[in-house]
Amino acid sequence: MEVELLEIRDFLADHAPFDVLSPDLLEVLPHQLVVRYLRRGTAFPPADATAPALYILRSGAVELRNSDGTLSDKLGEGDLYAGLCEADSSVSGVTVEDSLLYLLDCRALASLREASAAFDRQFAADRAERLRRAAAPRPGAGIDVLSLKAADLRHREPVTLDADMTIRQAAQLMSAQRVSSVLVTEGERLAGLITDSDLRHRCLARGLSPDSPARSIMTPDPVTIDGDELLAEALLCMTRMQVHHLPVLIQGRLAGMLTLSDLARHQGSSPVLLATDIQRADGIEALAQICRRLPELQLQLGLANTRPSYIGAAIASITDALTRRLLELAESRLGPAPVPYVWAAGGSQGRQEQTVHSDQDHALIISDDLRDTDREYFAELARFVSDGLNACGFPYCPGNAMASNPQWCQPLQVWHGYFNDWIERPQPKALMHASIFFDLRAIHGEPVLLQSLQEQVLARTRANRIFIAHLTAAALQHRPPLGFFRNFVFIHDGEHDATLDLKRRGLLPIVDLARIYALSEGIDAVNTRERLEAAIATGALGIDLGSSLLDALEFIAGLRIRHQARCLREGHSPDNYLPPDTLSGLERNHLKDAFRLIQSLQATLENRYQAGRFS
Amino acid sequence: MWTRLPGADLRRRWLRRRLPPNPLQAYLAAPLPARRARCRELEFLALDIETSGLDPARDRILSLGTVVVRDLAVPLDSAWYRLVRPGRPLSGDNVRIHHITDDQAAAGLPLSTVLPELLEQLAGRVLLAHHAALELGFLNRLCRDWYDAPLLTRAVDTQLLARRRLQRRGQAFRGRDLRLYNLRAELGLPRYRAHHALSDALATAELFLALLPDADCRLREVLC
Repeated sequence: MEVELLEIRDFLADHAPFDVLSPDLLEVLPHQLVVRYLRRGTAFPPADATAPALYILRSGAVELRNSDGTLSDKLGEGDLYAGLCEADSSVSGVTVEDSLLYLLDCRALASLREASAAFDRQFAADRAERLRRAAAPRPGAGIDVLSLKAADLRHREPVTLDADMTIRQAAQLMSAQRVSSVLVTEGERLAGLITDSDLRHRCLARGLSPDSPARSIMTPDPVTIDGDELLAEALLCMTRMQVHHLPVLIQGRLAGMLTLSDLARHQGSSPVLLATDIQRADGIEALAQICRRLPELQLQLGLANTRPSYIGAAIASITDALTRRLLELAESRLGPAPVPYVWAAGGSQGRQEQTVHSDQDHALIISDDLRDTDREYFAELARFVSDGLNACGFPYCPGNAMASNPQWCQPLQVWHGYFNDWIERPQPKALMHASIFFDLRAIHGEPVLLQSLQEQVLARTRANRIFIAHLTAAALQHRPPLGFFRNFVFIHDGEHDATLDLKRRGLLPIVDLARIYALSEGIDAVNTRERLEAAIATGALGIDLGSSLLDALEFIAGLRIRHQARCLREGHSPDNYLPPDTLSGLERNHLKDAFRLIQSLQATLENRYQAGRFS
Repeated sequence: MWTRLPGADLRRRWLRRRLPPNPLQAYLAAPLPARRARCRELEFLALDIETSGLDPARDRILSLGTVVVRDLAVPLDSAWYRLVRPGRPLSGDNVRIHHITDDQAAAGLPLSTVLPELLEQLAGRVLLAHHAALELGFLNRLCRDWYDAPLLTRAVDTQLLARRRLQRRGQAFRGRDLRLYNLRAELGLPRYRAHHALSDALATAELFLALLPDADCRLREVLC
């Protein structure tokens, strides 16, 4: 007769990693378990254990401590302890509540892992492997079109025309081939691009003879994209450069044409359209109207399973376009700038890791030719842009790290002074401010002003062990939690949070680590991914740990995108506070892996620079 | 009840000689667990039966479930569950409570097969039940009817253990506080679905572990 242990089977079926087992295996598994009851205050794992086993906590609570006595984890219902089945088991603990546990003999666990590949994967001893899976696109959530390569979406051979042919011939060719653009070549070389709108604006509207050479109306040296680039990159490129046609090159040879309508067919067009609309808007009202579509855009990109790093870059590129447009509007009101300047974005926009409704962080770096009488111009300019951004849904920076603050609207020389001060006399408070300004990216104006500043800054930070030590100490203010306990986030001994602050406890610790690597290695990137990749390239960050950290970043950023999508669908403004009960068991485990990784990298840096701080 | 009398083992040997070879006689071959033995050295058989009513003379057993307690743990490969094939159709009330329909019951085994299986499991073990009077009542009745002798066994009643514990602590309680599922909730044990013989047997075994005064306690401290 069939003997069913329904209670236990159902419990296992609800909890990772058992939830991936086939019904057959789930039916058999309960019969392999042993139930134990450990009173509060019992040593864990229990001293009288007969054979090494995997422990599944059914009810109660267990605290685990490292060999040095520090708390390492707290287990609640549904949590596992596999230490006895693994090589290293330096952890020991105690039950802090009366606890009911299910034990699975390590040998039975091994055969179960053999019987189910899916189960085995979830149990993979290798954290790097688990994090790689966590960061991979979610199956079943739709294909991420933007992670295809530009070459994948090339539908036809490129239609080309020699530059010496006439405009009429170009138009005839386009009609015959039913294309809206034609590539203009000079021999083997790509010389330019003619689109329908060029025929209209540059030929017909100006009364130019159709027998003129095609080169007279082409856009010379158009922006191109390599076939190996992802469509997301093509999309960002179109958004940034305000173009709708991108010739695709494969190994340097012209291979085809990627148009906005190709992307539109795959629902990938919206950021470009939004940026185009922003470019055309004639006032703050109109811009604010357009920006109301931003949350919807983030939602759509999230639903399309777009990689979180590209969503961050797409939102930033739209904020860039908005900032540029606001500066143009300001300049048309106030007249041209009296001296050159660069508008630089900091914080998440600077790093191209933005989400909707993030605060504004920016700075104005003005040429040293600035006269005192010009100061009012730049103050006005900054006020206009900052007010405009606020009206468009990007609230003022609570710390007032904005160009509209006179402190952050200064000539280059003063900026050099600021950075010198931060680097030579690194006070914890100053460093908190400084972290925004170490992530600056030029948005509008003369990028060379920022470039010269950044070069000098990097040259100084690179050699400065004491500064890096202080930067590390400041970064360690952002610690990841230890894990989860029941429906709480377990911060450390005796402290629980009701929600997981994905930004402060997940993303910022990684962002801070990347900044430390960048400044200590003289890496000029500001994007966290790029910084980490560069740190791997210089050898400062081991490739295994580095790749895992990149995966952790992608995974946590993905959780944030999905959490914010949920906020938007439920009609409230997106935040960073994730309630743990919305996480699956697997996601919790992935997060724990990510937290541990961040902790160990933080500990490494802490040890490395401990001495430096006091020398 | 026999188990409360001193010299229960004498009684067992006497009965065994008296009885013809049958499943009860075979059961009596194993010595009864010693009252002075430590609980952690003993094996227990947690038993739950679902019945059509409370009267062993009139009502019948519908299903039985057991798990073993060994080393103060419950190895779940010991789980055992039997539906009993009835002699007559089931009444609506019982179908509602136990979720056992006539069709399912028809797929069950006759008691003549199930009872020997149960006795075989119980040999050398301590019977463990919640409100053990019901289980003991029905088993005694069956043994008398079929084998012409009562069931001689040592039994632990988790309901009695819980009652003693509450009395010892001077806590006021009502009858319903002593129900299996309310006691479990009180002790922080997970909620299982009630009125399934195997679930209830497991629930009883876990409750027993939670109620044990300490790991070194002797059987006589927890016997009925």
